[in-house]
Amino acid sequence: MTSVDVMPALAPLLDYVHRQRNLDVPMLPEVASRVIQLTQHRDSGARELAALIQSDPALAGHVMRIANSAAYCPTTSLVSLQQAIARLGMDLITEIALAASISTRMFKTPGFTREVADVWRHALATALWAREISRHCRLNMEATFLCGLLHSIGWPVALQTLLDGIGQLELACDRATLLQLATLLMRPVGLSVLEQWNMPAIIIETVRYRDDYRAAPSGPRQTLLVNAAAALATHMLHPEELPLASLLQRQVLIDLNLYPDEVQALLARTPELRQTLEAMRA
Amino acid sequence: MPDFSSRDFAGGDMQVDLAIIGSGPAGQSAALQAARLGKTVALIEKDTILGGAGITRGTLPLKILRENALRSLHQDRLLPDFRRREDMQMPSLLAHLDEILEAHDHSLAHLLSHPRFNPPADLPPGGDQLPDHTAAPPPIVHLHGRAQFLDPRTLAVENVCGASIRVQAPRIIIASGSVPHHPAAFAVDHEAIFDSDSILSLLYLPRSLVVLGSGMIACEYASIFQALGVNVTLIDTSVQPLDFLDSDLAATFVNTFTRMGGIWVGSTTVERVSWSGFGDVQTHCSDGRIYTSEKALCATGRRANTADLALTNAGLQLNSQGLLTVDAQLQTPVPGIYAAGDAIDPAALTPVAVAQGQRACCHAFGHAGHNVPVPGGIYSIPELATVGLSAEAATRIHGRVLVGRAHFNELARGHIAGLEDGLLKLVCDAEGRRILGVMIAGEGATELIHIGQIAMQTHAEVDIFADSLFNFPTLAEAYRVAALAVIDQRRTSPPPVV
Repeated sequence: MTSVDVMPALAPLLDYVHRQRNLDVPMLPEVASRVIQLTQHRDSGARELAALIQSDPALAGHVMRIANSAAYCPTTSLVSLQQAIARLGMDLITEIALAASISTRMFKTPGFTREVADVWRHALATALWAREISRHCRLNMEATFLCGLLHSIGWPVALQTLLDGIGQLELACDRATLLQLATLLMRPVGLSVLEQWNMPAIIIETVRYRDDYRAAPSGPRQTLLVNAAAALATHMLHPEELPLASLLQRQVLIDLNLYPDEVQALLARTPELRQTLEAMRA
Repeated sequence: MPDFSSRDFAGGDMQVDLAIIGSGPAGQSAALQAARLGKTVALIEKDTILGGAGITRGTLPLKILRENALRSLHQDRLLPDFRRREDMQMPSLLAHLDEILEAHDHSLAHLLSHPRFNPPADLPPGGDQLPDHTAAPPPIVHLHGRAQFLDPRTLAVENVCGASIRVQAPRIIIASGSVPHHPAAFAVDHEAIFDSDSILSLLYLPRSLVVLGSGMIACEYASIFQALGVNVTLIDTSVQPLDFLDSDLAATFVNTFTRMGGIWVGSTTVERVSWSGFGDVQTHCSDGRIYTSEKALCATGRRANTADLALTNAGLQLNSQGLLTVDAQLQTPVPGIYAAGDAIDPAALTPVAVAQGQRACCHAFGHAGHNVPVPGGIYSIPELATVGLSAEAATRIHGRVLVGRAHFNELARGHIAGLEDGLLKLVCDAEGRRILGVMIAGEGATELIHIGQIAMQTHAEVDIFADSLFNFPTLAEAYRVAALAVIDQRRTSPPPVV
């Protein structure tokens, strides 16, 4: 059965996803256990924990969600992890990370572990490139890093929700169709999660207007940066999907006013960024 | 009417009378001056909008932030229980910035597309034949691209798509502005440690900020952030901030800054600034003190923005201060190549850059040009403004000078507005007649200074302020008060007879 043939049969599944009011963002089990391990050694583990939080979109998202809740920040909206750490202190952030790791559901995506890991890896790579481009443009990169980290949070959540729905509704769905549906639902599910979490407007805008950055109401700059960063991340991780020649033709790089040699200077940082990426994912 | 047009790079090479690198105040004024002289001009700008990075990243957003800081201070005075919302978002404090920048860009484009020919009386005769002012001026061509010298008369201009054309001109003005200088010990990362180009891209107000430097930019940012409720510590090696001003004006700044809660740490060398990795920035001083803050701003100086220009191809190089060297007519050691604005002096204020652009252009085409007093404005809280010589500089040059002062808190308007600080000084020659300079500290300084500037420009004597009528109550009455003080000194202590 082709994906197109299957779609009408999966209408109940799409409806299931649409009806979910409290979408859960699962965590990777290994990340949760690392958090627990680091929180046992508060003094020595603080720096490592801060780095771990910044390397995992689900953990970062949960920490920001709790940090931004009325219990901790009734009158303000935190836009970056650095701001959260500065405002609440590392001790409190440690407790929040521990609570999130213990109470959050773990990913249960048998057969799709590699895909989920790939998406998380791409998200972290996007965050690192967003930081790099911001630095080159002499712009503050705090919120841009977080925007990059969370820009594709909808995909694994959509996948997990679809798998849950398939189980509950006892449907059949082939792998290719499932992946296609997850991609289709990535943006609406991502927006739903971020809005549910009361994330700052700038992060929600980055997801909503990622492919149409000129329409971003608060100014297109962050969205533009994340769009460019995602392209560089794809080129770095999957050059077969986005070869160099295609990357250099991307309108977003022109809209960022990056001259050819500036793009080359950024690309020259690829080995270093790859190293940082692997170290943060280790 | 002239057409300020963006050239399609496929159009091939071009030849113009004058090529200008940079569309900031110096570049704009040079372009307009050249067009008024009937010359063809290519104005090359690397950025997507006109105006120069100094204006679009610094001047305009900073002034918007300053306005909101003043509103915040005003609220503090009116409502003693007023509390600013914690973690106020910077975008809300910089509301309408994008609209303002777009409007600025459009108005510049309009201005550059309508350069008027001035009547011949505006320009002293000399040099090239002045054009027939009934004809339309030639177009100023705007090239959105990055310039690089191929030789002293040829520029290669590349656009963001990689297309390139050659621009040949017998005269070239470098008005490429400046970029922040980062001492090696200050690890500027635009995340915890900023420079003056990146600080305004912060999305929230930090709780505390260390500002390194004591010049105009450092003091502007320090006082504005302090007024917004950030705990600011200003640190520098100098004994007092703004040490190019008279000490009483600098003291006015320090008094207001510290009264708002700011801390000034002078005569202190900073050894290094680093981020802890999470949470805070540590500023280590040579005397052992360590200042901890949420963020830090390095505003210790700027360098000429010439890294992309391939200066050596034109036979040029930067001096030891990282700036271009020019003579009194703003010509570099290479004949036909001029420089103006921040590229020769990063402390250059906008009016100074405008005057320099005009002067460079006039000299390039053999005209004498204008020579008028140029005002300076510092948009700290309080404002500071100057024209002509400070009292200290005038004393060094002329020996005896007479200085008249007026304090804002002695004026009715000062009382009404609750202005505790505020000072106007008239610096006059030994006879107490010729105005050598005007210095003002206090709100409205940058507007008030123009009165003194016009008096100097028209060679009026100080008595004009005593003889003139002012609205009541206004701060402008300070001119009358200061002038009477000079006249009084003239009567009571006349200059010695030589």
